[in-house]
Amino acid sequence: MTRFIAWRIVQLPLILAVVYLITFALVWLAPGSPYGNNDRALSEAAKNDLKARFHGENWEAFLAYYPWRIVAHGDFGPSLSYEGWSVNDVLSSALPVSISLGLFSILIALLCGCAAGVTAALHRGGILDLLSLSAALIGISLPPFVVAGMLIVIFSDGLHWLPSGGWGQFRHMILPAVALALMPMAYIARLTRVSMLDTLGHDFVRTARAKGLPKRTVVWKHAFRTAFLPVFTYLGPATAYAMTGSFVVETVFNIPGLGQHFVNGVKNRDQTLILGTVLVYAAFLLVLNLLVDIGYALIDPRIEITARPE
Amino acid sequence: MIRLLSIPVILAGLVAAAVFWSGDAGDRQRADFAFINRGDNKCLDPNGMSWMQDIRLAYGLWEGLYTADPATFKPILGCADHAQVDSTQTVWTLHIRPDARWCNGDSVTSRDFLFAWRRFLETPGEYTYLHFYVQGAKKYSSDFADYLAARKKGDTTRPAPDFASVGEKAVDDQTLVVTLTDPVPFFPALLAFPPYFPMHEPSMHHFLEKDGLHYNQKFTRPPFLVTNGPYRLAEWTFKRRLRMVASDFYWNRANVKSRVIDQIYADDGTAAFRTYERGDVDWLADLDSDLAAQILAHGKRTDLHVFPAFGTYFYSLNCLPTLSDGRHNPLSDVRVRRALSMAIDREPIVKNVGRLGQPVSFTYLPPHVFEGYVSPPGLPYDVTQARKLLAEAGYPNGQGFPHLSILYNTESLHGDVAQIVRRQWLDNLGIQMDLQGVEVKVFGEMQHTQQFSVSRASWYGDYNDPSTFTDKYKSDSDDNEAKWNSPEYDRLCAEAQKEPDQHRRLALLSQAENILLSEAPIIPLYTYVNTYMFRDQVQGIPLLANAMIMFQPVHVIH
Repeated sequence: MTRFIAWRIVQLPLILAVVYLITFALVWLAPGSPYGNNDRALSEAAKNDLKARFHGENWEAFLAYYPWRIVAHGDFGPSLSYEGWSVNDVLSSALPVSISLGLFSILIALLCGCAAGVTAALHRGGILDLLSLSAALIGISLPPFVVAGMLIVIFSDGLHWLPSGGWGQFRHMILPAVALALMPMAYIARLTRVSMLDTLGHDFVRTARAKGLPKRTVVWKHAFRTAFLPVFTYLGPATAYAMTGSFVVETVFNIPGLGQHFVNGVKNRDQTLILGTVLVYAAFLLVLNLLVDIGYALIDPRIEITARPE
Repeated sequence: MIRLLSIPVILAGLVAAAVFWSGDAGDRQRADFAFINRGDNKCLDPNGMSWMQDIRLAYGLWEGLYTADPATFKPILGCADHAQVDSTQTVWTLHIRPDARWCNGDSVTSRDFLFAWRRFLETPGEYTYLHFYVQGAKKYSSDFADYLAARKKGDTTRPAPDFASVGEKAVDDQTLVVTLTDPVPFFPALLAFPPYFPMHEPSMHHFLEKDGLHYNQKFTRPPFLVTNGPYRLAEWTFKRRLRMVASDFYWNRANVKSRVIDQIYADDGTAAFRTYERGDVDWLADLDSDLAAQILAHGKRTDLHVFPAFGTYFYSLNCLPTLSDGRHNPLSDVRVRRALSMAIDREPIVKNVGRLGQPVSFTYLPPHVFEGYVSPPGLPYDVTQARKLLAEAGYPNGQGFPHLSILYNTESLHGDVAQIVRRQWLDNLGIQMDLQGVEVKVFGEMQHTQQFSVSRASWYGDYNDPSTFTDKYKSDSDDNEAKWNSPEYDRLCAEAQKEPDQHRRLALLSQAENILLSEAPIIPLYTYVNTYMFRDQVQGIPLLANAMIMFQPVHVIH
C-alpha cells in the first residue's frame, strides 16, 4: 500500500510536466496576441514594453523560466489579460468558489443518486424503477444551461424562493449546485442500479437473507457496500470536474468561479492563465484519482492494492 | 456501513468549510449607488489604461488639472484653479488649487503630474501619443526606448536622455508650465482625460520593480492605491465587487452626492439584466443588444435609454497595391472602393440586424457630436453610379473581379451584417465575396497586419475634438488598418493642428473627412448607440455619446 502510494506520488509531477508541455505548445501555436484592445493597434513601443513586463524576452525564455517559477515559488506569474492581477490572485479568488460549489453538487448527486439507484434496483421493473430511470435519462440528456434556466424560471422568477444569481451566501449556492448535480446524479443513479441488481443476485446476499437478517441490513450493509464500488470510481473524476467549475453554470448564475477562466483565458489568449487553470485541473484530477484508489482499500477490505496475483 | 457513511459526512464537512472559505468577508450593506460596468476591469493604472470600463472608473478616482462637466462632459477647471495660455496658444501655465489633496491627505503637487507624464514617455501605453502634442515629448520617448535597448545589449555608456528637453516644467510645487508643439485648442479636454491624470509616487514607490522603471500592478489595489479624485478605491475583489468610497480630502467633497458606490460584476448579458431586475444595481451601463431590441419592440418600459454613441460602425477596405497572399488588390483602385461604398443600402442593416434604431451613417465622424463641425455629405447609396464606376475600373457587372472575402469577428452581430453586405454586393454589383468569420483575437491581429481585403471595423472617439477620429487615417498612424495614404489628407490634418482659429480648424478637418469619404478606404454603415438601463429614481446620469459619467452628482432618490 505504502509503496503503491509512493509510486503514484512520484508519477504526479511527471504527468503534470507532460500536461504542461502539451498545453504550452498549444498556447503558443494559437494565433493572436493577449495584449491590447482589439479595435486599436498597439504601437510597437507599447507592445515591446508589455512583453518586457510580462514575458521576459521570448517563448524560449518563457518555456524555461516559467516552470521554474511555478516549482520554486508556487507562482504562476502575472495574468496577461487582467493586468493588475497575477494568475495566483485569479486562482485564489476563483478556486474556493468552484470547490465549494462543486463539493456541494457532488454531495447532492451522491445522496440522491444512490437513493434513486437503490430504490430502482429494489423495485426492478416496477413504477419506481421506471420513474427513476426516466429521471436519470432526463438528467443525462438535459444540458446544464437548460436546467439552469428552468431552475431560475421556477424557483427564482416564479416562486421567489431563491436568488437567481450572485455569490456570498449559502442561498446563492443552492440553484447552481442543483444544476451542476443533475448530470452526475443521473449517472450515479444508473451506475448504482445496475451494480445493485448485479450484487443482489450474488450468493452472499442470498446467504445473508437466509440467515434471517432484516432486509434493511441486507440491502445497505451487505449489497450496497459492494455495489457502491463503481460509483466510488466515478466519484474521483466527477469531483475533480465539479470542483474546477463549469463555464455555463457560472455564467448563467453570475458566479465568480474558475470555469469561466478556462474559456475566457483561451478567448483572451491569456497564456499564463490558461497554463495555470489547466495545471490546477490536472492536479485535481490526479490527486482525486489517487484518493479514490486509496479509498478502495478502506471501503472494500477485499481489495489489497499491492497484492500480486498468486 | 459507518465507513460508507463517512463519505457523505466528510463531503458535507468539506462543503461547510469551503463555503466559509469562499464567502465574502466584505461589508454586505447595499451601496448608495450600484452599477454594472461594460465588461471586466483590466487595468486601473492610468498609464496602461485603454478600456472604456476602466476609463469610466478613472473619472471617479482621479482628477486632472481640468475635469469634465458632469452634465455635458466639456472640460472645466478641476485640480487646477486657474489656467492661462499665451498669445501663441502653445504655452500653458497651470496653477494647482491649494486645497487639492490625495485621498491620504497629501497635497497634490506639480511633481505628481510630472511623474505621471514622464512615466507615459518612458513606459509607453496605448495613449502615449496624446503626450506627443507636448514639445520634445515624441523625441524623448523614442530616445528613451533607444537608451533602454542599448542598455539591454549591455551598453552602459549611453546616457539616458534628459527629461528637461520636454516642454513640461514645474515652476514651483503649485505651478506647471506646458509648452506644446502647436496650438491645441482641445488641450483642456486632453488634460481632463486619464492619460494626463497625476499619480502619487510615494505610495507606488514600494511597488517599483527591479528594472527601476515598471511598477508591480498590485499598487492599483486597495488599500495601496492613492488617488486625488472624488472617490478612493476601498475594495476590489477579483470579478466580484469594486467599491469606491467618497474621499475625505477631495476639495469639492461637498458636491459628492453618493458616499458609497459599488460596481458589481456580471459577464453575461442576461445575468446582468436579472441583477438589475432584482434591484441589486441601479444602473446597467450596457444592456445586451438582443435584450434591448426585445424591450424596445415591446415598447412598454421607460427605464431603457437608447441614444447615439461616440462611435461608428464601418467597413474598412485594404488599400495596399497587393493583398497579403500576393495577388493584385482591386481595392487599391479608388473607383472600386467608391463603387462598393455606393452599393450598400444601410437601412436593412439597422432595421434587421441592429434593431436599436441606430442612425444610418454616410460619414466617418458621428454627426452633431462636435460643436461647430459641419459633416461632409459622404457617398450616397446609388447603385447606377456604383455599377458605372465598377465598369470604368474594368469589371463591368462584376466580371473578372477576383474572389475576395469579408473579414469579421464572430462575436455579436458582425456575421449578420456581413451577410447583408455580401448579398447587396452580389445583387447590385455582381461581385461574389466569401465570408470569413474568425475569433476576435485572430481578427485583431489579421486586421492590424492587413491580412484582409474587406474588414469590419469600428472606432470610438476619446476626447471631444474631431481629431480623435481623423488622426486614425493619417498615413503614419498605427491604427490606419486600411493603409490608405493621402498626402492631401495628411496635409489638412497637419494644417488643422497648427491652426489657432477654431472655426477654420474645424473647416480644415471637415475637408479632410471629405477626402477620406470620397476616396472611400472606409464605408461608414451606422452610428453605434449606447443602451443604459436606470429607473427614474436614479439622478445624475446624463445620456452622453461617449457613455461616460462623472460619479459626484449621481444619486438614488428613495
